[in-house]
Order: sequence, then C-alpha cells, then structure tokens
Amino acid sequence: MSINITNEGFFNSHFLAEKTRDNPLIRVMALHALAYCERLFYLEEVEEIRVADANIYAGRRLHEGLDKGSKKYTLELASQELGIRGKVDYICTNAGELIIYEHKKGRSNKGNQAWPSDYLQTTTYGLLVSEHFNRPVKELRIRYHADNKTIVIPFDLNKAKNEILKAVKRARELRSCLQRPPVNVPENLCRTCSLAPVCLPEEEHFAAEGKEKPVRLFPAEDERRVIHILEQGAFISKDGYQIIIHLPDGEKKAISTAHISSLVLHGNVQISTQTIHFCAANEIGIHWLSYGGHYVAALQRGAGFVQRHHRQYDAFCKPFFTTLLIARLCQAKVENQLKYILRLARAKRSTPVQNKKTLEATINAIRHEIKAIARIEKTLSKADDGDIVEYDKLTGEMRGHEGRAGREYFKALACILNLEKDSFLYFDGRNRRPPRDPFNALLSFGYALLYKDCVAAIQAVGLDPCFGFFHTPRSTAYPLALDLMELFRVIMWDMPLIASVNRKQWRKQDFEITGKQVWLNKEGRKKAIILYENRKKEKWKHPVLKYSLSYARTIELEARLLEKEWTGSPGLFARLRLR
Amino acid sequence: MNTDKHWYLFCYDIRDQKRWAKVFKIIKGYGEHLQYSIFRIRMTKKQLEKLRWQLTSIMDVEDDLMIVKLCPTCAKRIIDSRDGAKWKQDVPSFEVF
Repeated sequence: MSINITNEGFFNSHFLAEKTRDNPLIRVMALHALAYCERLFYLEEVEEIRVADANIYAGRRLHEGLDKGSKKYTLELASQELGIRGKVDYICTNAGELIIYEHKKGRSNKGNQAWPSDYLQTTTYGLLVSEHFNRPVKELRIRYHADNKTIVIPFDLNKAKNEILKAVKRARELRSCLQRPPVNVPENLCRTCSLAPVCLPEEEHFAAEGKEKPVRLFPAEDERRVIHILEQGAFISKDGYQIIIHLPDGEKKAISTAHISSLVLHGNVQISTQTIHFCAANEIGIHWLSYGGHYVAALQRGAGFVQRHHRQYDAFCKPFFTTLLIARLCQAKVENQLKYILRLARAKRSTPVQNKKTLEATINAIRHEIKAIARIEKTLSKADDGDIVEYDKLTGEMRGHEGRAGREYFKALACILNLEKDSFLYFDGRNRRPPRDPFNALLSFGYALLYKDCVAAIQAVGLDPCFGFFHTPRSTAYPLALDLMELFRVIMWDMPLIASVNRKQWRKQDFEITGKQVWLNKEGRKKAIILYENRKKEKWKHPVLKYSLSYARTIELEARLLEKEWTGSPGLFARLRLR
Repeated sequence: MNTDKHWYLFCYDIRDQKRWAKVFKIIKGYGEHLQYSIFRIRMTKKQLEKLRWQLTSIMDVEDDLMIVKLCPTCAKRIIDSRDGAKWKQDVPSFEVF
C-alpha cells in the first residue's frame, strides 16, 4: 500500500510520521543502555520492555529535586544528521562557554573516571548542544552523588562525532535484527540491571555452562496481591489512586492500587470504564470468569511485543522443534502424575487399600506410557532437523500416551482416595463440560483458576497465547495457556485439592447440584479460591535452577524459560519435577 | 531484585491546600490513612522509591516529609489507641469479596 501525502499537515500526525520515517531517531538514553549492554538496549528499545526498579526511581527523584540555578537550562534537542534526540542539561558561564552537566545517583568509576555508558551519554549531549548553538561546548561534567565526585572531561568535537556515529550505527544494526543479542557482559553488570528478572542472564549461563547454582535475580515472590470478587452485583470504581469495591449491601472497601496485581471478576460484577483504563495504564490485570467458573476474557493492552510474537510464530512453525517440545512437556506432565501417585501410595501404605491390585496395575500402566514418551524424546534428541518426516504421526502417538496416562492417573486417584460409594465426593474418573459430580466440579474450577494465571503469565512475558505447540487451536481457549498449564495441573491444584479432601474440608452444602450437572456455589468457590491462592504463595525449590520461589512465580518463570527455547538458550523449559 | 516488604510511617506537613490534596491522593494509592498527616504503608524498596519520586515533583521546599521504616518487631510493638491489632496481623497475599 502506498500513501500519497499531499497535505503538509499529515506529517504532524503521529501515525503517519511513524510510517514515513524509516529510521526513527534514537534516544540518548538508549545509547547509554547500548554502552552498558547490547542486550539491554535491544530489550528496552526494540522490544520495548521497560522495567523500573528502585534505583531508577531514586535517579528520577534526584533529577526532580535538583536545584536548577539561574544559569542552568534544559533543552529538548534532536539532530537529523546524527539521528538522535534527547533532553539536555547545560550551563552557560559568564564568559559564554557552554558546559554539559549531568547528575548521576551512583558512584564514579574508581573515584576519578566516568563510566563508559555515562561518558557516551554526556558526549552525545555535547554534540547536540554544539550543533544547536553552532559552536562547540567546552567540557562535560558528570557529578556522581554517591561519592560526591565531579568528573570533568574536555570535549573534542571530531572525536566525539566519530564515537557517536559508530554507536548510532551499531544501534541501527541491532534495531533491524530480529534476534535478541546474547548475554555477554560481566555478571556484576547484571546484578544491578533493572531488566535482569526479564532477561534472566544467570539462568542463561546456567543452561550454557551447567553452573552449580545460578545467583537468583528472579524475584521469589509477587509483591502485589490478587483480588477476587465473587459477590454478585458488586461494582468496582476508582477514586484517585484507590480502587473501591461497592458491595450490594452498601458496604465499601477501598484498596490502594499499588498493592493490586490483578482483579478477578466472577460472574455479574460490574467495573467502571475509568477503572479499566487505569488498570491498563498501570499494569493491573483484569480477568473475567463466568459465574460457573469458565474463563471469559482478560484485559490486554494495545499492540506491542511484535518481535516476540514474530519469533514465537517462527519457532512454532518448525515441526521438529515443536515435536521435541511436546515430547518434553508430555514427559514432565506424566512423570509428575506418577510421582504424585507414588507419594500418595507410600503415605497410604499403613492403611489397607481395597483395590491394591488395580492401583498397582495403573502405576505400571503410567510407567509404561512414560517409557514410550521417553523413547520418542530420545530419538528426537538424537535426530537432526530433517531426519524425521513423520512429525504428525509422532505427535499423535504422544497425545495418545499422554491421554492414556491421564486416564490411568485419575483411576489411581480414585483408588487412593478410596471414598465410599455413598460419599458425596465419590470420584470415579474425570468428566467435564459440565462436571457431573462434586469432585469433578472442584477439579474444573481449580483448573479455571490455574488457566487464568497461565494466561496472565503468558501476557506478562509478551508471548501470544493464541499460538501453542501442543494443543490444537480452538476458539474457546488459548492453546499456549493450556500447554503451559499441563506442567502445573498436578502441582498447583490436584495436590492441594486432595489434601483438602483428606482433611474433610468440603461439605455437601458447598455444591449446587442441578440434575446431572454440579457447580460450586458461592461458599464452595470461596473455599476453592482460598485453597488455590494459598497454594500459589507457598515456596518450593526449583529442582533444576535450585533456588526457591513461590508457585505463583514459577508459572511466569516457566513461561520465560519457554521463550528461551527459541531465543538462544534452550533446555530449561519443562524440567520441573515433584520430589 | 529484592521483594521484601516493610512497614513505613509516612508523615508530612504540606503548607498549601492544593499541593496537600495531590500528595494525599497519591499516598492513598499506597497505604492507609492513620491520623491527620500520618500514613502507614507496607511496601518494597522499589515502591518506596517510586512514591518518593512522585512526591518530589509535587512538594515544595517549604513542605516537610518524614519517612520512618519499621522493622517487623518494631511494627508489632506499636501502641495504637484506635486499632492496635492491625499492626500484629500479617498482610494477606490475596483477598476474596
């Protein structure tokens, strides 16, 4: 499509400006990032992932609070020739000399030097100011507030120009490539980098070198909380920076927005447009679930993550790659199922199990399926792309193995639970859509909650949930979220649920039984949510990465490790196992 | 990245009604209003820095701000005539309404 621009005013439109200018100006701060780490530049400038940490806010406060003297000026400058833009602070002395002044929160390099990234940043400012006034600035001054040192650097126009043009050229090269540059900076830089929880440099080193134990840069806990609203007819509005929940009985609850990670609305709960706008702008998720516990929709911000989606599509279009991923995912799922059954069987050894024979038979059947999947995985790992052509057949086989193992797993659960036939929780195999007995209703509701968190994790990582590798595309559910969920069904819902059944936490009054269909009622749902959310905050030690983190964070970690499968450091996804 | 949370007391004196209203609204987005110009907030270091940054752009040199960080034991020892129990409770990681 070609656009003919006849009217000058068209250029003022942001939309057209983006389309017509093929090389956008590079921000000076982006050059600062480039000098620090090329991967940081790529993540921030190309993929547009910006994470502010405590240091960044402290730096902004420093700039905000500085006393602007009478001779200090701030200018927003851009240079078409250099291809950069930025906001500059400079001083004009009495003699008419121009001096660039930059404040930094941290300490200087060895007390007498500027850090390379700061040097590049101030040099660029020097060039911008020189070009603007058409005379060279005299010197650059960088003030490091932590050790109270000011570093003075004389300014050489030609040398500066060479350096900056080189940096801009490199920045443009990185901008145009689709692949994330590898991690190749010293470890100490990652430790203070605000993007470390997204970039996961340590996990990458771990995959590459088989290091003992990565230093954890990934946060162990969520700092904000999830708010579930079950009360039908409740209304959510916003007042300043607070979210107000108006309950139908007239009661109002105010919650500070700094502490909310997401709102989960079950059924007929209203939310104002202003609140939705606020949540979108402040990274608060909203999930809508039906009254019966079906996932309906999530709040998704506008366009973005293009590179990540592009790479994801690319990767999932390679049959060899997806078949290998499927093999590993199935293996992880079935092995976790087996491990859990064995654990339960061990715990029950003292009490007589009626169907001991059936239980043993199911365990053997699951073992058999694991062996079959492992065989496929082995042949795939040995093979190269192009060696095998029967991907569809292999995938079909693995689906079969996984499905059969799943059936045996639920059969084994029924044996171990060993409930009387007249117990209201009597369980005799999985059924769904809609669930036909209370136990299946519980399973379905918990999986819906888990599905919600998987969607949220995929969104946070910036992948497209519509395109998965194992589940076939359907319009009712996100395939990638279902894929990711396979890793967590046992760990995050089956285990706490069965523990609660053994503790006899459930009553008949928690369910609504209409003919053949069974739902949880409000009390039952509340219990299930509390059970699930408590499970999420429990911490465990990741068996491969060997650091502890909450189950809630594990979902996001696995989603990030999944992305790493096609961004240069494969081998860490789907390796989590129960002990 | 440290996600440890601590209790903070935020105390301020704002000498202009308009600025006060802005500051009040922002701090409300972080924590609980205890007394006339005192808030209690449970937050991470990152949230603290963000709040301080938001406030510096509004507050003037004549305004005062005092931030008191409370260690877990100090927080439990607080004497509060209105509701002392709330200092002793753990903060929930989720809420159901």
